[in-house]
Amino acid sequence: MAPRYSVLIVDPLEETREVLRTALESRGVRILATDEPAQGLALAREHGPDLIVLDVEHLATAPQRLSDGFAAQSRARSTPLVLLGSARLRTGRQMASQGEFVAKPYHYAPLIRKIEELLALCQQPIARRAA
Amino acid sequence: MPSLFVFRGNDQGLRIELTEELLGLGRDVANQVQLHDTEVSRRHAVLRRADKTYMLSDLGSSNGTYVNGKRVDAHRLTSGDQVQIGNTQLLYTQTSGDSGVDLAQKIDIITGALGSDRSRIVSAISQADGSRLFDPDSDTPAHLRLNRGGSNLQIIYRTALAASHTLDIDELLDRIMRLIFDWVEADRGCIMLMDPQTKQLVPKVRRHRRPGSRDDNERISISQTILDYCMQHNEGVLTSDAQEDERWNPAASIVRMGVREALCAPMTGRYGVVGVIYIDTLSPPQDIGQRPAANKFNDEHLKLLIAIAHQAALAVEDTQYYSAMVEAERLAAIGQTIATLSHHIKNILQGIRGGSYLIKDGLAKHDEHMIGKGWEFVERNQQRISTLVMDMLTFSKEREPDLEPGNLNDIIQDVVELMVIRAAEKQVELICEPNPAVPVTVFDAEGIHRAVLNVVTNAIDACYDTGEEEPTRAGRVVVSTEYAPTEKLARIIVADNGTGISPEDLKEIFTLFVSHKGSRGTGLGLPVSEKILREHGGRIVVESEVGKGSQFILEMPANLPDAIRETNVDGGQ
Repeated sequence: MAPRYSVLIVDPLEETREVLRTALESRGVRILATDEPAQGLALAREHGPDLIVLDVEHLATAPQRLSDGFAAQSRARSTPLVLLGSARLRTGRQMASQGEFVAKPYHYAPLIRKIEELLALCQQPIARRAA
Repeated sequence: MPSLFVFRGNDQGLRIELTEELLGLGRDVANQVQLHDTEVSRRHAVLRRADKTYMLSDLGSSNGTYVNGKRVDAHRLTSGDQVQIGNTQLLYTQTSGDSGVDLAQKIDIITGALGSDRSRIVSAISQADGSRLFDPDSDTPAHLRLNRGGSNLQIIYRTALAASHTLDIDELLDRIMRLIFDWVEADRGCIMLMDPQTKQLVPKVRRHRRPGSRDDNERISISQTILDYCMQHNEGVLTSDAQEDERWNPAASIVRMGVREALCAPMTGRYGVVGVIYIDTLSPPQDIGQRPAANKFNDEHLKLLIAIAHQAALAVEDTQYYSAMVEAERLAAIGQTIATLSHHIKNILQGIRGGSYLIKDGLAKHDEHMIGKGWEFVERNQQRISTLVMDMLTFSKEREPDLEPGNLNDIIQDVVELMVIRAAEKQVELICEPNPAVPVTVFDAEGIHRAVLNVVTNAIDACYDTGEEEPTRAGRVVVSTEYAPTEKLARIIVADNGTGISPEDLKEIFTLFVSHKGSRGTGLGLPVSEKILREHGGRIVVESEVGKGSQFILEMPANLPDAIRETNVDGGQ
């Protein structure tokens, strides 16, 4: 059965990516994952995922244009963002208006629930887009 | 107490208080002062107590023993001597006199109007006036002025020299006090420093003209009023307990008691008064009648004491600022350590949380694959926290290797056995090539196991994290041993065909908390391995080429069990 939704995970920790991949794939979600923000933005532009999980602490160390790029991508396609990081980060606070902010350290169960809720609100999941 | 302080070399920061009659210095563990320096001979030199100091004797070492830059066979150490053995430089210091606790019991600060000793201020000179040591004095003939000026200059020069040669305040003050006694006929003296917290003067150095004599135990009484005057007016004072108008009257009581004269000078630094220097002298009754005008102290002495006190104060301030700076750096290092470790622990906890979540989710869905994946995360992070804790313990404590006879081949086989599954998970071939020529040697099996484990873990990671989407070659790590009988060295070699290390990165691979493995690296592994090898008198040699791989050679002296036994017997003599 083809996955209904796709999620892009941009996080420097391999384990975080793997846990989210395992948990979300078992729920029928296609996963795109990378540890590099620049590569993440390229994947977002190329594949137009239904939701982006973004580590903003990591993003804060990358050039500002990448933050701007994700924000623009989110606005243009109404892609919800799930932002992981410390609330004190400026970048996080700015982008938080366009998505859900989840403060570290987080627990996976509420995070997965949050992703599921946001995906459920998506108007154009893969299946519908493909159709 | 005499002590040796390692200020350069692998053991930098080590301080050894010398309490024993005989101490061996060398690379071997049997020495009382063990130096982890491959340029140091196993039994390099010996320190033998000689009166209040130590005699340093070379034991026919390969690279010699140096004191203050000169090679010596035997040398009687004096405080401030710099000893060089191999690449290790040590400072010998020795303070004479009493400890701070003893001093507080030997110096009284008497409150009340100039104290019960009837002292009064005869002369007071400000620090500015005190600096006019070399001003022409119309009453003094030119040749005398020159002689006196030259002499004063020499004293100030010697003071500056004494002050510049140490960062130990007690040592510095002791030198200053000795210098003052060389220059003036004082009977007793003490230096007190102001405690920054309590603002009270605390005795630091006390000296008597005849150290060790019965008089040496005599308490020094100093008038609180005079001290207050010195500190508040920032002026040095010359005091006498004699009444001027009856001073030389043979009928007066002073003839029975004698006259005590004292000089007290504030130690004025850049930013304020840090303490006082006090010296006094007693003219016995019989001298007074013979030398009616021969006061022992005069304004010239006071000016000079003020100048010396100023020099000493500057040095005390410098030393205090240096200590504060070292302390600040220490605190910053602690802060950085805590931040770095917290970051690693946070990531590990996040990994465990993820694993736990997958297990719980998998159990709810009866999904064995998910449960297995979750368990894998938990186990991996359990291993990470275990490694982190062991590395921290190894790095943090000064430890003596637990030396036991063993075979390095067993160690590499254990490590390979432990790591073979992890290597297979990452599609890296892990090969063990023990060399049967390696004899049984003496080493700390647990330490060497940890050192090899860290290096092998890195080697596997270097083969796995190539950054290539499609690896062009299969990862391969070979762990082997080697024995060089002529050099008496044993080696463990870990070679990989991974990413290699750039020359820039190679410079800092042994730097604490520097890791090129991203969030997975703690930056502890290689510094720990290097420390362990150093504790064995060995080292780690790295050869690497970007794109081709790396070779880590863990090299250490091949101490045969018999040799160690003999050394221990020798060391006990």
